Amino acid sequence: MLLFLLACSRIEVSESWQIDRLRILAIAAEPAEPRPGDTVRFRSLVLSPNRPVECVAWVGCSAEEGFGCGLEGLSGDSGAGALASSFLGIEPFSPPVWQVPLDFLDGLPEADREEGVPGIITTIAITDCSALQDASAETANELLSGDIDSSEIGFKRVPVSLATTPNHNPTVVGITVDGIEVASGVRVELDRKQTYSMTVALADDAVESYKYRNGDGEVEDREEEPYFSWYSQEGSFSQTNSLWDVVTVEYTTPELPVHLEQSLWVVARDRRGGMGWAELPIRIR
Amino acid sequence: MILLLLSLQGAFAQQPPPPPPAEEEPPPLLKDPVLLEFVQAPYPPAAQAEGVQGLVLLAIEIDETGAARNVEVLRAAGYGFDEAAVEAAKLFRFSPAEDASGPVPVIIEFEYGFILDSSSRTDAVPQEVVEEAPVELPVNLEGQLVEMGTRRPLADITLRLEPSGLETITDAEGRYQLRGVPIGETKIKIVHPGFQPMEETVTLTEGQVTQAKLWLRNLSYGSAGVVGAYQREKVEVTQRSISIEEIRRIPGTFGDPVRVVQSLPGAARSPFGTGLLIIRGSNPQDSGVYVDGIRIPLIYHLGGFESVINPDLVAGVDYLPGGFGVQYGRSTGGVVDVTTKEKFPDRPHISWSTDILDSGGTFTASLGKKKQHGIGVAARRSYIDALLPIFTADTGFVAKPRWYDYQAKYIYQGDAPIKFSALAFGFEDVLFASTPPGFSQGTDQDGQGDLGTRYSTHRILVNLEVPITESLHLRFTPSFGNDYGEFKLGNAWKAANSQWVAEVRAELPWEPSEHFRLVPGVDFLGGWSDFEIILPFDPSSFASTDPLAEREPFSVAETQTGWGPDAYVMAQIRPLKDPEALLISPGLRFNYLNIPGELQQFSFDPRLSFRWAIREQSRLKGSLGLYSQPPQPFQAFRPDDEMVELKPEKSLSATLGFEQDFGQVIHADVEFFYKHMYDLIVGNPNFQSLDTQFFVNSGVGRAYGMEVLLRHDPVGPLFGWISYTLSRSERKDDPDDDRYYLFDYDQTHILSAVAGYKLPFDFEISAKAQYVTGNPTTTYGLGVYDVDLDTYNAFSTSEYNDRRLPAYGTVSLRLDKLFTFKTWQLDLYLDVLNVIRGKNPEFEIYNYDYTESDYVRGLPTIPGPGFEIKADF
Repeated sequence: MLLFLLACSRIEVSESWQIDRLRILAIAAEPAEPRPGDTVRFRSLVLSPNRPVECVAWVGCSAEEGFGCGLEGLSGDSGAGALASSFLGIEPFSPPVWQVPLDFLDGLPEADREEGVPGIITTIAITDCSALQDASAETANELLSGDIDSSEIGFKRVPVSLATTPNHNPTVVGITVDGIEVASGVRVELDRKQTYSMTVALADDAVESYKYRNGDGEVEDREEEPYFSWYSQEGSFSQTNSLWDVVTVEYTTPELPVHLEQSLWVVARDRRGGMGWAELPIRIR
Repeated sequence: MILLLLSLQGAFAQQPPPPPPAEEEPPPLLKDPVLLEFVQAPYPPAAQAEGVQGLVLLAIEIDETGAARNVEVLRAAGYGFDEAAVEAAKLFRFSPAEDASGPVPVIIEFEYGFILDSSSRTDAVPQEVVEEAPVELPVNLEGQLVEMGTRRPLADITLRLEPSGLETITDAEGRYQLRGVPIGETKIKIVHPGFQPMEETVTLTEGQVTQAKLWLRNLSYGSAGVVGAYQREKVEVTQRSISIEEIRRIPGTFGDPVRVVQSLPGAARSPFGTGLLIIRGSNPQDSGVYVDGIRIPLIYHLGGFESVINPDLVAGVDYLPGGFGVQYGRSTGGVVDVTTKEKFPDRPHISWSTDILDSGGTFTASLGKKKQHGIGVAARRSYIDALLPIFTADTGFVAKPRWYDYQAKYIYQGDAPIKFSALAFGFEDVLFASTPPGFSQGTDQDGQGDLGTRYSTHRILVNLEVPITESLHLRFTPSFGNDYGEFKLGNAWKAANSQWVAEVRAELPWEPSEHFRLVPGVDFLGGWSDFEIILPFDPSSFASTDPLAEREPFSVAETQTGWGPDAYVMAQIRPLKDPEALLISPGLRFNYLNIPGELQQFSFDPRLSFRWAIREQSRLKGSLGLYSQPPQPFQAFRPDDEMVELKPEKSLSATLGFEQDFGQVIHADVEFFYKHMYDLIVGNPNFQSLDTQFFVNSGVGRAYGMEVLLRHDPVGPLFGWISYTLSRSERKDDPDDDRYYLFDYDQTHILSAVAGYKLPFDFEISAKAQYVTGNPTTTYGLGVYDVDLDTYNAFSTSEYNDRRLPAYGTVSLRLDKLFTFKTWQLDLYLDVLNVIRGKNPEFEIYNYDYTESDYVRGLPTIPGPGFEIKADF
């Protein structure tokens, strides 16, 4: 019944594939599944359709602390200079780096260390850096509550483990448009108000096989089942996500595009914390 | 005892005022006036005492609207007959006469007869009949008079022959005989209140007995048995019983009697009209639903459009919003008790109904020489699974809900001083929803696949009432059956529960005098359930909290038993000389529940209610009582082997009300209520691991308000009521919290108006209008993005339920047309839901990051045509 009523109701809200405001779309940690003592570097896919993104601030927390812990460091009398030890960096001034503590897994039973526990990385993207420079307790609260315009907060888990087959980020080599593979970053021309089939082209080693020790202590061979999220500035997707075994989405170009040149993006997630993405610049003719 | 006779002299109709000789003759009438509403005059006591009958000839002026204006006596009968006839005739209502220009005023002659019926008739049989039909002449015209469409024999109706003037009256079987009718053509004329005048010509042949079966058309089918058709003894303080014929004409109910509850005071509007019972600020699961006193888990089929009992077998619906007696337990909300028919008609009756949702048939009959065995069977099947994909074709979803239900009842209708009946009934609802190939259903790999839910109930119950002594009876109602529920999503998720339930009610009412009645009873509920749960992850592992952790399939299958032999005793004390003047009803209920290894609890519920007729048409009523409710099955479970430490939820309820009758057909009912709820079961705020209890008894709540019901009984062409509820319902999850928050379905104002009107030519129109305050809702702001799951976590930016959705308003209409043929009837109708609808938001839905929101609207305008065929044999 609910399906029927939802179907009958015209819900007029924006879709998640629409890039109509500042968005954090993906964060990749390298390595994707570090061991204690490893140095982890981060990169992000942050898009803003109107204003460039000036700052991306990074903080790190343990799983127990939760995603918001690092933001407390933004408050205090001395402003940004008093950032807590969990502070990882502010792009573009200082690229984020996380040194995984050597004792990160110490509280975990020996048997569980192969699976590990995640650290929580919080990312704040802001189009105006002054909001961070003027950081205060009020600013932090406003950031958390989303009251600051043109800001976006996202958080990501970084699994830390002693896995024998640690995870790697999937590599997206491009996007296949109506059966033709296009390398990431290469522009294609599409007709107005036309529908195109799109699939993700992954590197050969993108879908990994790995070992998992189950609750009975037996080691299982498993394989990743990635899924993909699609984004555009204009036009529309038939669905927001596609699955590893349901790979195709339909993209319909706008009839009256605001920008003749724009881009589509796809983000691949391997469900183990690994991420990769690709951009498909398009020209609408 | 008194039979009234009238005769309408249609041929004498003329238009007033008398035209001056110089003017033209008035145009001829194209349509004669037809009597629609007959008013029975009181039989003059003096005439009755003397056994005198009378026939008054009246001149009635009927205006363009069909109202009787002036009434004059053209031929007096004396003995008080003339005055009584005039007063009654002034209240007649006709369909207006019409000429080419439309309705016009006319004057008709009308014979108003006063005849003592057969039960009181001794020597008062109309003398002229005896005198004009000498017994020495042979019978040469005979037959039977039956009602057109239903074949119901019509007794005590006068047949008049023209031109001979012979008359006779039908017997109890509708049969008649006439002697010495002149050979050749003769007209049989029947004019009787409530029936369309009939005239039929028969030809009599010398030396033969002519047989003539006569058919008389009722002016108002279905209404004859309405008043008192379902009149339970009113022992509850707030017992709103509505007759079935009345209910089935309410628009938007698809003729379903149970859905009428939604239009009565105290019942909040359920989302999308799904029929959730939200009574006096209680949760839907807090109200009990019964069939013949036996509790069932669900009362509505999928979507809430129709109840699970075929309306053709339903005798009535008792709606008890609060203050009910100790015979009902395990509920802190309200009670809806559906009562099936306790007698079937003598002659076989079949009916078939079809609407946009389903089709079904019913067969009832009384068998045996003395019609001592009554049987009724009914079944329905929906086809909404065929229609719904038409509406959802472009959404990607293929949703296919379907249901069926069946009922079979046997009633012993013989002379033995026992009551015995057996009822078997059941239903199944299935919802199957799937996504087409190539369509991802979210991003969770275990959330892919077809969605299926199925639930079913099957019951057999026996009702036996045996008199032990003159003042002591045994009422025994055992029942047994199965409830099954299942939810499946792909191959990864499944939850199924098959529950075998035995419920036994036994009462021993003792009534030593009309001033005192004691009812001890037992309400046993017990059984066992086999449940199975399959999950894609182990809920006790870290995977249940870390979405990136590896999952391991989990399954559990267990059998659980439980039983609760509740007992109660209730007294009905009528201390005043007139037993109907005051009823005081104290009661005590003992509740016990034992689920071995999981839960054990007991409680006592004392209750007291009264009804006091302070004047003939005014009654005061009130109640005070404690109500207990055991935990829901999912609350009475913990994964470790520890006992669940939960008490029953409690509600202390008080009501005070006043009833006032305005004449015989208009009634007003005002009632105030207050409910204090405590020990409510809420989520455990200190829940940390699976060895902690999921739920605790820390919730409290309160609900208070006023209910008004103004009702016009279905007497004459009009029925309807206005229902208004002013209420507030609030909750606290912890008694120490500073403030209450609004209950999720709190609706300050609920105003419903229902009306139906019988039109000429068996048309009937009815309407329902409703205005309801919007449900509370909570405001959410921009969420924080979970990059791993590609979802936003919402944060409320306000207190819980701090504001309301816009108000809900709707009007639904229904138009019926009854076609009556000699041996069957066809009722065609159009039921239009939401003829006028506002935005009617049902709930607020947010976009992916909680920066925008929109309303999911209520049902659109839905025209629902349907028909019902009825035939008697």
